Parts: sequence; structure tokens; C-alpha cells
Amino acid sequence: MSAVFPSPEWLKALEGKLNTDEQYARIAKNWEGDLVFQIEPEGNLKERVIFYLDLWHGKCRGTEVWDEIADKTPAFILKASYGNFARILKGELDPMQAMLTRKLGVKGNMAVMMRSVPTVLDFVRCARDITNEIV
Amino acid sequence: MQPILKIDLSTGATEEYRIPKKWEQEYLGGASLAARLLYGALSPALDPLSPAAPLLILTGPLSGTSGPAVGRFVVCGKSPATGLWAESNAGGFWGPELRKAGYDGLWITGKAAGPVYLHLADGRLVVREAAHLWGQDTYQIQESIKTEIGQRGARVLGIGPAGENGILFAGLFCDHGRAAGRTGLGAVMGAKNLKAIAVQGHGKIPLADPEKFAGLRSAANRALKNDSMTSVLHDLGSAGAADYFDYLGEMPKKYFSAGVLEGSEKITGASVAETILVGKKACHACVIACGRVVDLGDGEKRKGPEYETLVGFGPNLGITDTHVITRLGELCDRYGVDIISMSGTIGLAFRLFELGVISRDDTGGLALTWGNAAAAEQLVRQTVRREGFGELLALGSRALGRHFGAEDEAVQVNGLEAAYHDPRGASGMALVYATSPRGACHNQSDYFLTEIGQADGSLGMAFYDRHAGAEKAANVARHQDWRTVDNALVLCLFANVPPGTVLGLINAACGLDWTVDDMLRSGERAWNLKRAINNRLGLTRANDKLPKAFLEPLPDGGAAGYVIPFDEMLSAYYTARGWDPETGRPTKDKLLALGLDDVAADLWE
Repeated sequence: MSAVFPSPEWLKALEGKLNTDEQYARIAKNWEGDLVFQIEPEGNLKERVIFYLDLWHGKCRGTEVWDEIADKTPAFILKASYGNFARILKGELDPMQAMLTRKLGVKGNMAVMMRSVPTVLDFVRCARDITNEIV
Repeated sequence: MQPILKIDLSTGATEEYRIPKKWEQEYLGGASLAARLLYGALSPALDPLSPAAPLLILTGPLSGTSGPAVGRFVVCGKSPATGLWAESNAGGFWGPELRKAGYDGLWITGKAAGPVYLHLADGRLVVREAAHLWGQDTYQIQESIKTEIGQRGARVLGIGPAGENGILFAGLFCDHGRAAGRTGLGAVMGAKNLKAIAVQGHGKIPLADPEKFAGLRSAANRALKNDSMTSVLHDLGSAGAADYFDYLGEMPKKYFSAGVLEGSEKITGASVAETILVGKKACHACVIACGRVVDLGDGEKRKGPEYETLVGFGPNLGITDTHVITRLGELCDRYGVDIISMSGTIGLAFRLFELGVISRDDTGGLALTWGNAAAAEQLVRQTVRREGFGELLALGSRALGRHFGAEDEAVQVNGLEAAYHDPRGASGMALVYATSPRGACHNQSDYFLTEIGQADGSLGMAFYDRHAGAEKAANVARHQDWRTVDNALVLCLFANVPPGTVLGLINAACGLDWTVDDMLRSGERAWNLKRAINNRLGLTRANDKLPKAFLEPLPDGGAAGYVIPFDEMLSAYYTARGWDPETGRPTKDKLLALGLDDVAADLWE
């Protein structure tokens, strides 16, 4: 299944991919923590998009599209412009590089994030796999 | 700028030196200005450990302000380890205090008749006898001198037993473990019988336009505090990206001979944060606070290891215990030796033992097997005391390898041990190590961060794949020019401050109206000047080389199989630099274009 980023269908497709991908299940087996993608408007994206993913031990236990983060407290909030999210999905920008160079803001436990380099990279591999178009 | 205080330790004479305005504007301060000031004094015949050798300590025009990460100062001269340009900077609070005491630098020559220390307070210098302090470590002298002069607020910069004993990689240390460690300037200080320099002051840091500067530095600090890299450094220390470096195959193991080491995941900033971290420390006015405070279970709060210590005494030696690494790092800090050179030289000894080049007969019975932390500690102690096998280690890895007919096994360039960023994981570091004016150093350009994305378009830089070759040569040169500006200021390289912001701070502090191009030209000028200093000291293109280990592929890990196309990269670099491929010197045209007419005449007429 593939979908257009950033749409609700894309988020569902990613959930499906994460729950069926054996490599991801193996690499992310120790990951514990839900996360939010906060995609800021830029270019073709005219309004902010917020995606929530509940990731746990190599599986995705659920996804939601949020209107706002408000008082919710996900373990990680990853915030970037639409352009930088798109560059990551197109393979033009490495996600770890993005995190270390102002292109992708991270709120959450940096120790966990830095210790999970393979998980981060494999998560992005899955996201790239299900993306067939970027608005 | 404020004057530099010249001090002749042989005679006790002092003199205030006013920096020519033209040089202030062309070089800004720090290492760049030091190169200009010392250009004529550094000759091939000059013995770095002789009384005539200069020890020049400089700050920069932002030092001591409340700007972003501006707490550093730099020490320069001729290196006893390399025989070339020596430069090493340190953080903490000493540099800002020197400026508050009324001077932008200290230019020390001569040799005291016996051990002394200097006490500079608000422009008044006193030379004090220090025979009773000789032998104290770099932590002890902090307390001893503050007590003796009755000033708890004074800042003390000094040497430990390593500097006293002329260890070729001894450094200068302040504020409990803040080190100007590289290139052996602690030995230069020790040769002058100078144990320490205490400074204190209450003066105001001079700024050309204080109001404008205040607005800019506030905005710069706010932006820096919100920067992603700042978060990593604050939360996890300078080893915050170690997991990623490990993943990329950039973190060395077993003295650069392996790409994978079981347990290396325990040797990262994240691991320290999750186990022994109990606090954080910052240099003067720094919002990052990358310094670590750890507790090893004995209830004592001590300095935690930064990246080079974690790797140098960790995977580099096959050690994966953060407690052991922390203690080895503290031992080096207290003795006053450079951790990179010390752990690198020990790494070579371990490697030679593995290869069968040396045996227990050579090491005084020590089995130098990977992971043998007790042996590593013994070697540190023996080196500083120049005892047994340590007598050989005290000369550094190049000399150690040469002694056993295995100089090519030493991972060093021109006598300076390589920092722990393997260029096989980040190929730009190959050019950085080969062409740095002080040897295999990562502070003249931390290009390993550019390799993971820190490429600023406003500098005219682009992003290249970490395993790209000659096409990135001009990018490396541009980054070196940029970092030369930082080292002139003397700005901490960890501060991810945008070039446009730095430019604004320079203009406000110095009363300039520079563009980014003007700023980079200042860096390029100083880079070429340091090159010319080294050319005059005998350096040629033949010196621009890499050790054997870097030219061979790693067997495993994130950089397995990759071979650096070094010859092509170096040729492209020479083209980008405008250097003569025959002699290794900047061409006459390049020097003239940079306004270095006197240097052009010296090198080419």
C-alpha cells in the first residue's frame, strides 16, 4: 500500500507497514515511546499537520491525526517544515543529520533518540517505502 | 583592543604591546592574530623548549562578553612535538578573566631562574616563587594558588607534572580539567619554569558598539539555546552524537584497526547520561553546558568524560567501562597531559603488542592486550614520570613507532596524534588531518559535523556524501577558513551559531562593516599564514599525508571496505587553495591576493 504524504491515508499506510515489516520489528524491538510529527506549512502545504504514532517494541499500536498537541504529552515531538519532511522522505536528507542540524527539531529524551539510530533509520525506510507522492 | 602584556621571565621585564590597527582588523584576534605576531619569531633553529621560545596566550574580540560560547582563549608557539606551528585553545573562565584584568593576551619569553607563577590582578603583575608548588597536579594548584593569594575568585591556568617533566604532549589546564592540550605547549611553559598564571579583574570588556552588540548577542543566545545540536550537547555532552558516529564507522576501535567492538554502545554520551551523570557544567556565559559532572559511586562529584576521552581511553583501547575511562581521563587532566595524544600513543603500544612488534620484554612485563585498563593506567603514570617503557611513550607515537621500526603504524600526521574521528567514516577528515597546520587535528575543522549535514549555504558550502572524494575538496577548504575565523574569535566550535550572526557580532564588537566574504577572507588569510609559517619551518607537500591505517579499508562496521581516494582529494584541495603542488607553499599570487606581501617575499624571492 502506498499513499500521498501528508494525508490520513499515508499515516494509515505507515501504520500497516510498521506492523508487517519484519526488519523493522527486529531492529525496533526495544523501542518504547509514542511520537508526534508536527509538519509546518510550506510550499504546497498550507496548514499545519500533526500525526501521532504509538510505537512500542517494533510495532505501531495506533495512529491518529491531531488538530493540536495542547496538553498531550507524547514521548517525542519531531517538528520540521514540510519541505524538510519531504526531503527526508525523498531520501535527500538523512533523518539523523536533520536532527543534528536544525532541520528537524526534537523534543524528548535525546539519550533515547541517539541510542536508537538504527531504529530511526529503519522507521524512515518504512515511511519512504509507502510514500508514492508528496503534495 | 586592549594591549598584550609582554613578560620576559629571564629578566622580569614587562612591556605593554599595542597591536597594530591593521592587524587587529585583518586577523581579529586569537590564533589568527597569534600567527601574525609570531610569524617572524618561529624559525627552524628555534628550540621550542629554549628561553627564546615564545608562549603567546590570546583571547578574541568576543571573549568575556555575554555572547554565545565566547569563554575560550588560545595558546600558541612552536610545538616541541611537531616542530611546527602550535595552537591549542581551552574553555572555562580564565580567558574572560584575563580580559577583565586589562589585557587581551600574555606574550611570555625567557626562563625564570627557578619555579615561579604569575599573579595578574587588574593590570598589576607580580611574579611569585613556586618551588613549593612544583610537582602539584593541575587540580591542586588551583586551590593552592587561590589560597596563597587570598582570592577565591581568581582563575588559574597551569601545568602539571607532565609539563614540568617536558612531556611532548603536555598541556595547560584551567578550571578543573579545561585543557589547552594539543601540541605540547605545557612543556614549553614548563621549560620556562612557569608553573601557573593566576588572573583576576574587574574591568569592562571593550566593545565598539555595546548597544548593538547587546541586542545581537541576546538573540544569538536565544537561538543557540533552541538549537537541536545544543540540545544534544546539553543533554548528552560532547559525546552526544557518539552513537551515530559509531553507526557510521567513524568512531575508532582498537587503535583504528577495527570497525566493530562488542560493548562500544556503552561508550556514548547517552550511556553516560543514563548511568553516572549527576550534573552539567558550563564555561563562561555558555547556554550549552556540555561539561559533565559524574558520580562513580564513591560519592565524589568529578569531571565526566567528553567524546575524545570516552573513545581514546575506551574503544580505542578495547575498553568499554565508563568508570575506568573517567578515572583515566581524570588522571591525565591532573598530570596535565593531552588525552588524545596520550591515549593515541598508548593505542599504538597496544597495537604493536598485538602485531608482535613489541613484547613484555619491551614493556617491563606489561601485557598490552585490548581492554587491559590496568596496563593503560600504568603507562600513563610511567609516561608522565618518564619511567621504564614510559620514557619512550613520552616522545609520542611517531617516535615510539620509529624506535621499533614501525613508524607507519603510528596514526599521526607530522607528529600529532589523530583525533578520534576516523576519516574512513567521514572522508573530508582525510584532508583536514593532512593539511591542518598543527597535525592530525579536528579543531582546525570539525568537518565530521559537515559530513552529517552541518553545511551552511551562507558560507558557500554544499553538502556532499560522507564518502564523496575530490569533489568536496573546495568545501573542506571553505570550512577550514570558517573555523579559522572561529579560532580567531576564539569561539567554541560546539556553538552552532549561524555565520550571519557571527558576522553581526564581529562588526558590533570591532566596529567593522564586513560582509561574509570579508570574514571568510580573514580566515583564509590566517590559514595561509599558518601554512607559510610551517613552510618556513620545513614543511612541504610531502608532509600532507595520512598514516597507513587511514589508507586501508576497515574490515567491518559502518565504513567497512571504503578506501579514501586521498591523492585525488589532495590534488583537488591544492587547486582549491591556490597552493603550489611542487613545494606545498601558497603561490605568490595567492599570498599577494590575501595581502600577505611580506610572506610572499619571504617564500618566493
